[in-house]
Amino acid sequence: MLKLVNVGKKFAKTAILKNINFNVTKGGIVGLAGASGSGKSTLLRCIQKLERIDEGTIEYTGTSSFMFQDFQLFPHMTVFENLVYAPKKIFKNTNVEKEAFHLLEQLGLKNKAHTLPSKISGGQKQRVALARCLMMKPNILLCDEPTSGLDVATIEDVVQLLRTVHAMEVTMVIASHDLDFLTRIATRIIVLKNGIKAADIDVSELSDPINNLKVHYQESL
Amino acid sequence: MTLLDNILFIGKGITLTMELMFGGMLMGLILGTVLAIGKYKGWLVILINQTISIIRGTPMILQLSFFYFAIPNALNIKLSILSAGIITLGLNSSAYIAEILRAGIESLPKGQFEAAQTLQIPTWLMWKDIILPQVIRNVFPALTNEMITLLKDTALISTLGGMDLMRRAQSVAAEQFTYFAPICIAASYYYVLILLIEYVVQKIEQRGEYAQTS
Repeated sequence: MLKLVNVGKKFAKTAILKNINFNVTKGGIVGLAGASGSGKSTLLRCIQKLERIDEGTIEYTGTSSFMFQDFQLFPHMTVFENLVYAPKKIFKNTNVEKEAFHLLEQLGLKNKAHTLPSKISGGQKQRVALARCLMMKPNILLCDEPTSGLDVATIEDVVQLLRTVHAMEVTMVIASHDLDFLTRIATRIIVLKNGIKAADIDVSELSDPINNLKVHYQESL
Repeated sequence: MTLLDNILFIGKGITLTMELMFGGMLMGLILGTVLAIGKYKGWLVILINQTISIIRGTPMILQLSFFYFAIPNALNIKLSILSAGIITLGLNSSAYIAEILRAGIESLPKGQFEAAQTLQIPTWLMWKDIILPQVIRNVFPALTNEMITLLKDTALISTLGGMDLMRRAQSVAAEQFTYFAPICIAASYYYVLILLIEYVVQKIEQRGEYAQTS
């Protein structure tokens, strides 16, 4: 589904990613963990082709969608317009509006459909950003720090939301520094250290995922 | 001629003044947008920067002479005062509008371009529906200033004999050997027009208000 082979990326002469290899099967959820500056976001951006890679290859079947850390909703468009604008132009089918309302209903945002993004809370923006990605019917969803700046209750909502997305058989790669969150959602966690894959952990093999992972994480850094 | 006759005679110049302002502004906006967006196409940058530099680096009265006398003379064509005026004002303001828009484009988060890219929005739709509407809202006060400057610059057309507000005031002054009243009448017309622009712009801004952050 998603295959990274010897991926390398440099900014000027500084190597940000070095020799990254991994595969993700369809429907898999991979967490990218690591300290700030370890290359998590850059790797996601490379997969989305927002950055060019200098070495290696990234291959995947189907389309990908990217959820930005700061959402990047279009501020001059309502929540509904944010959802339907791109699919209307690309898919040109008439069901887009119906699908958008259905999705907003699922996410508990139907009453915010005609509100501007500036008038909704951080958690609601998060859901709108996710809905906008899902409207593009991606095979792979890339999430950059989806819990950044959210409170505990809203993080729980994000976990539930991503589980709903997982049920749609969407493959996910999630970059986050929040290990608790990652262990609850990911089936596999890759730890990056200074742009190198420092650990590749199958969460299901851990007896006490959160504590075991923290030990693994500390050891790999 | 009574004072009222003078007011009415000078007032007839509003038509030419407004034609020049709206024509120049329309051309300036279109050309300015093309120049601003063109700056994001690598190979065009040098050409566009040079064009803007020349326009900003020469007096407008010279540009007016260039389009009214020099170009028609070189190409053996005839341009009306109105056409030469609109071309000069439009070209001149396009250089300033391009710079205003460029500043607006650069002030937008890079993520807005990237979001459009990840949503597979075609480039021209990205500019038309995503980037420019936000940019224009952000730079609206600066564009208003440009429009006001443009209105005042239309008075230069009087040097070619165009019967705008300024030329009509000069004509009355020359005929009646008195400058005070005609110049004050013309000044009042310009000032009222500018107050009108400010009022309309204020109304538009109130309607289009939204918070910047998403």
